[in-house]
Amino acid sequence: MGFRRVADAEWELEPSGGMLVPGRVYASPALFERASADRAVDQVANVAHLPGIVGASIAMPDIHWGYGFPIGGVAATDVDEGGVVSPGGVGFDICCGVRLLRTGLSLPEVRSREDLLMGELDARIPRGLGTGSIASASLVGDVLERGAAAVLDAGFGVAADLDRCEERGTSPGAEPDRITRRALERGSGQLGSLGAGNHFLEVQVVDRVEGQAAAGLGLAVGEVCVMIHCGSRGLGHQTCTDQLQGMGGAMRAHGISVPDRQLACVPVRSAEGERYLGAMAAAANFAWANRHVLAHEARQAFAAAGLPTDGMGLVFDVAHNLAKVERHPVQGRDRTLCVHRKGATRAFGPGHPALPPDLRAIGQPVLVPGSMGTASWVLRGVEGNPAWGSAAHGAGRVMSRKKAKAQQHGAVVKRGLEDEGIAVRPGSVRLLSEEAPYAYKDVDEVARVCGVAGLAEPVARLRPVGVVKG
Amino acid sequence: MVGGVALSLPRYEVLPHTADTAIIAYGATLFELFENAAFGMFDTMFDLDEVSTTRSRPIVAAGDTVEELLVAWLSEVLAEAETHGLAFSYFTVDRLEEGGVQGSAQGDPAAGLELRGPPVKAVTYHDLAVVEIPDGWWARLVFDV
Repeated sequence: MGFRRVADAEWELEPSGGMLVPGRVYASPALFERASADRAVDQVANVAHLPGIVGASIAMPDIHWGYGFPIGGVAATDVDEGGVVSPGGVGFDICCGVRLLRTGLSLPEVRSREDLLMGELDARIPRGLGTGSIASASLVGDVLERGAAAVLDAGFGVAADLDRCEERGTSPGAEPDRITRRALERGSGQLGSLGAGNHFLEVQVVDRVEGQAAAGLGLAVGEVCVMIHCGSRGLGHQTCTDQLQGMGGAMRAHGISVPDRQLACVPVRSAEGERYLGAMAAAANFAWANRHVLAHEARQAFAAAGLPTDGMGLVFDVAHNLAKVERHPVQGRDRTLCVHRKGATRAFGPGHPALPPDLRAIGQPVLVPGSMGTASWVLRGVEGNPAWGSAAHGAGRVMSRKKAKAQQHGAVVKRGLEDEGIAVRPGSVRLLSEEAPYAYKDVDEVARVCGVAGLAEPVARLRPVGVVKG
Repeated sequence: MVGGVALSLPRYEVLPHTADTAIIAYGATLFELFENAAFGMFDTMFDLDEVSTTRSRPIVAAGDTVEELLVAWLSEVLAEAETHGLAFSYFTVDRLEEGGVQGSAQGDPAAGLELRGPPVKAVTYHDLAVVEIPDGWWARLVFDV
C-alpha cells in the first residue's frame, strides 16, 4: 500500500478508488513494518469508504489485522451528513474494556499472602467455557437498562467506583427490548465472568511512573493494582450477530456498498441505525456491569486472603470496543460525530466536560494492557489529540495463535512466567502459549509512540505478579 | 468417496490469521459444506475425537444469500452450544433451500473437556466466500475468538 511517512510516528495514505478520506496510521517505523506484514493496513483503506466518514480512517500504534475494521481502528462519521454506524467498527465483544483498581498495598504485603490470594482468585473468578457467573441472571434486565448502577444497587462494589467509569458505567440510550431472546439465553448466566482468549484478571505492581500525573491518580512505585480485561460475553457477541444479520438487506435498501461485508453499515439517523445503537448500548451496559462485578469479587478475594481492602479504589474503567455519538470540531465547526473505536480507547484531554471533576486537571486515564507476562501502561489523555480523542488499547498481536502454540507448550510458558515471579492460574494450560508474551508487540513501544504522536502521555508502567486467565 | 466427501478434499483446513481463527471448509455438496464448516469451527476448539453424540439440538437459520445462510447456520450452532453448554461433533443438514436451512447438531456437555483452541465468539463476514468448484464447494470463514 502507498503509505508515506509524514511525521515521526505518522503514516498517511492518499485517498484512491472509493476512499472518501485519507488513511492514517500512528506508528513508529518498527510498528508500521509489523502492521504492514498482514492485511491490517488494507483494512485502514477499506474503512475510508464508509459513507459520511470525516477526517481520516485512523489506526492506533497497536494496529493489527481484524475483521472489517483493523483492530486499533478509529473512524468518525458526521451524523448530520448521512454518516453511518457500522457494527464492525465496534466488534462482537461490545464494550470490551479494561478496569484498573489500586489497592493501597505494597508488593511485600501482597507477596506475604500471595498463595492465599491467588487461590482465592482462582476459586472465585469464573472463566473459560461454561464455568458459571458471580451475579444472578435475574439482574440482567436491570443491567441492560442501567449498567454498573444496577449491580451497585444489588450490593456489588462501592458507589465511588461509578465516578471513575467512562460514562459512569452506563451507556445512554440503551434499548433492552432490542436484545433478542437468543442473546439473553446465551449471556444471562455470564454476569460476572471473564470468558477466555486474551481476557484476564491480573495482580500488578507499579514499577515506574513518569511525570506528576501518577500521584494525581493515586499511583506510586511499588503499589499493587488489579487490572481486569473483559467485555459483554455471549450476550454482546449474540447482539452483534443478530444486528449484522439484518444489515445486508438494510444496506441494499439504503444503496450503500462497502469493500468488506463485515463493514456493513447504515445511516445513524435511520430506523436500522437507531436500532443498532439502542441494542449496542444495552449490551455495553452488560459489559460495564460485568467488570464492576468482577472488581467486587477481586476485593472479596483480597479480604478472604487476609489483606486489607480499605485502600482499594478504582483508578478508571475504559471501553475499547464502542461507537459513541460525540461532539468534535471538524474544519473549525462543531459537529455531531459517531466515533467508532474498534480496539481503541477514548482518551479525552484535561478540561473535557465528560471527565469527573477530580480528573479534569489530569486528563482521562487510558489503560493499555500488555500481553501476559509483560508490562501494562496507564496513560493520560492530552489536549490536541488528533484522533477524535482516542489512543491505543493494548499491545497488539504480531503472531498467529497457531504459530504461538507451535513455538512453546503452555506448560513451558507457565514455568517461564513462574521463573520470573509471576503466579499463573490458567483456565486452560494448553491455551497459555497462544497468549504468550512473544505473540504480542512490545507494549512499551506502543505507549511511547502514543506519547510521540500526541495521542496520550505515559503515566505509569505496571508489571504483573499474578495472572488469572480463561 | 468417504462419507460423501471426495478423498481429495479434506473436511476443512486452518488458514493463517494473526488474531482470529480462519478456516476453509469443503463439501461435495452444499449440504456437506455446511456440515463440514460447523465441524471445522468446533474442531478448532475441541479435540472432536473425544466428543461423542449424547445430546442433540435442532438448528434452524435464515438468510437471503448462500453466504448469509452459512453465517446464520454457524452462528445458530454456536449459540445453541453456548446456551446449553455443549461441544458439538456431528452435524446434519436436512433441508437447505433459498432463505432457510434446517438440521441438527450433536455432541456432549463441554464441561470437563479441554480446549485446544480459543473459544469462537462469533462468525464474521470478513473475507467470507462460498464457491462452487468441479469437486463440490468450498467456503472461507473467519471466526472472532
